[in-house]
Amino acid sequence: MRNFKTTALLLTVPASLVAIGLYAAPILQVLALSLTEPKFGFANYQSLFANAAVGRVVMTTLKVSVTTTVLTVLASYIVAFAIIHMSAGWRRISLFLVLVPFWISVLVRAFSWITILRRRGVLNSALMETGVISTPLDLVYNLLGVTIGMVHYMMPFAILLLYANLSDIDRRIMQAARSLGARPATIFWRVWLPLSLPGIALATLFVFVFSLGFLVTPALLGAGKTLMIAEYISVQISSTSRWDLATSLSTMLLLVVGIIVFAAMRSPALRAAFVARPQQ
Amino acid sequence: MTISHFAQDAAQIALEKFNRGEIDRRSFLFALGGLGLAAAFKPGVAQADASEIVVCNWGGAAADAFAKAYGEPFTKKSGMKVVIDGAGPAIGAIRAMVESGKVIWDATDGGMIDSLTLGKGNLVEKIDYTIVDKSQVPENFAGEFGVSNYVYSNVLAYDADATKGVAPTGWADFFDTAKFPGKRTMCKWIQGQLEFVLMADGVAPADLYPLDVDRAFKKLKPMLADIIFWEGGAQTQQLFREGEVAMGNIWHTRANLLNKETPDKFKWIWEQNILSASAWSVPKGNPAGKKVFDFINSTLDPAGQLVLLQIMGNGPSNPKTLALMTPADALVNPTTKENAASQIMLNPAYYAEHETELQNKYLDFISS
Repeated sequence: MRNFKTTALLLTVPASLVAIGLYAAPILQVLALSLTEPKFGFANYQSLFANAAVGRVVMTTLKVSVTTTVLTVLASYIVAFAIIHMSAGWRRISLFLVLVPFWISVLVRAFSWITILRRRGVLNSALMETGVISTPLDLVYNLLGVTIGMVHYMMPFAILLLYANLSDIDRRIMQAARSLGARPATIFWRVWLPLSLPGIALATLFVFVFSLGFLVTPALLGAGKTLMIAEYISVQISSTSRWDLATSLSTMLLLVVGIIVFAAMRSPALRAAFVARPQQ
Repeated sequence: MTISHFAQDAAQIALEKFNRGEIDRRSFLFALGGLGLAAAFKPGVAQADASEIVVCNWGGAAADAFAKAYGEPFTKKSGMKVVIDGAGPAIGAIRAMVESGKVIWDATDGGMIDSLTLGKGNLVEKIDYTIVDKSQVPENFAGEFGVSNYVYSNVLAYDADATKGVAPTGWADFFDTAKFPGKRTMCKWIQGQLEFVLMADGVAPADLYPLDVDRAFKKLKPMLADIIFWEGGAQTQQLFREGEVAMGNIWHTRANLLNKETPDKFKWIWEQNILSASAWSVPKGNPAGKKVFDFINSTLDPAGQLVLLQIMGNGPSNPKTLALMTPADALVNPTTKENAASQIMLNPAYYAEHETELQNKYLDFISS
């Protein structure tokens, strides 16, 4: 057993080296730049907190990320719940359909949404021709468009996480609840939901952290009016040459994400999500 | 920034035309040659050595084929290979290269403003005017750290169907939603944006600089909800084509393409157009050394600049090119006398000083 553990550990070495070389080292470089650009000290961080514009970018990012997370997890739960109740054949088809957008590039998906949502797009045309509306709705190039695009991007991730969790739940518990006279709604609220909390927590954390760093979707669907942290950093690096601002903001984002993940991992629900299933 | 985005756009236009078969291979190659974007249109990182010139520009996704099929003939002609790296010479990218001592580009297609910004940061070489013939371009196009290879304008383009055939007469009409209903578009990169807002608000061209940012924002604020901010030239064409906007401040090259597609519908006016100069810069410690200036000098040749105008729409930086133009060429060229009558020129010195601060203020403003 001991030998096996050593071998297992050794097997992770190459991947770890690659990760350190290609990931950790550049991050440390960014961190170093934030402390030395243009001279050594914490001045960049002080000015970061004093910068009202950065504050607004952070608020926009939080607003969009929280909205995206809530909507994504809610919608994904419904889909995942439906999928686990399907017959095996339908389940395969449904999971395939969930995976299709998952494989399509984020750029293609953003442009597809523009085609659907623009003023003379698929959706507005259909609504106008059926007489539901008389003037086109502003569905894209604003916050709404960004939210739609981001929720759509995140849903496959959340659905798969929730599906894995929900399909692990022992169905005999529901049978027991029913035999004790519980109605379907009661079973859902008092059995399904509490048992799926680890999955919900994991999906929430994943979607939220992912949303914080979104670049392409808000840039394309927001038409410049929804400025989130990632795009702001990218502008400061390549266009305005404000590396002090870019690197200190990147470091802060990384730090905040790290703290969120660390804190979340200490919650019972998430710990449960990572604990190995008891052997039966 | 705008200039770099513009250059990226120009190459894309040529590539699209080439792919549609509107221009032949020879013309395409010649046009790129005129720009200095010659032999190998090669994506990814170029490996530089002293026997070749590596030019960094913004465009060209497809292109290994060009390197093989058309790069070699050009190499035979000039005796020196020219490799194009389409990675995009963003100021940040040049800075990263120069500061790490791993410079692979000889000439970068940025802008007059970029060249000043880079010069101030001590990131580029001075243009060697013992090799580059200064007399080929107007005095203000031959800067210490950049020499202009072509020019372009921000113009007011409009959808004649949306305006019911009425032509706008100046930037003031951009704001007149009563007379011209419909959404607008303008650029999220600051160059050439506040100028038009201030002119619409009645500021005389001579009084534009220093830009009165607060006044411009105040004028723009009530319009924000009706403005879609564009990032790249292709997007402006898309916005007009899809009927998303009725009017916009876009590059004249894109307005020209829209007009060619649908002459009766998409038009533009030259009134109060805002001229920018693009320019070559040479990153400090470039691999080919002084040889790059021979290459830069060759790009100032009128014959090449004319082809550039005919194929991509970019205006020439060499005024001698005007004499070679057909009436049709002159019509779409921003430096033609009639088109330049009420033109203003972007002030590079002002931008070199204030662009960073302005760009960030502007981003904050449009996203708030």
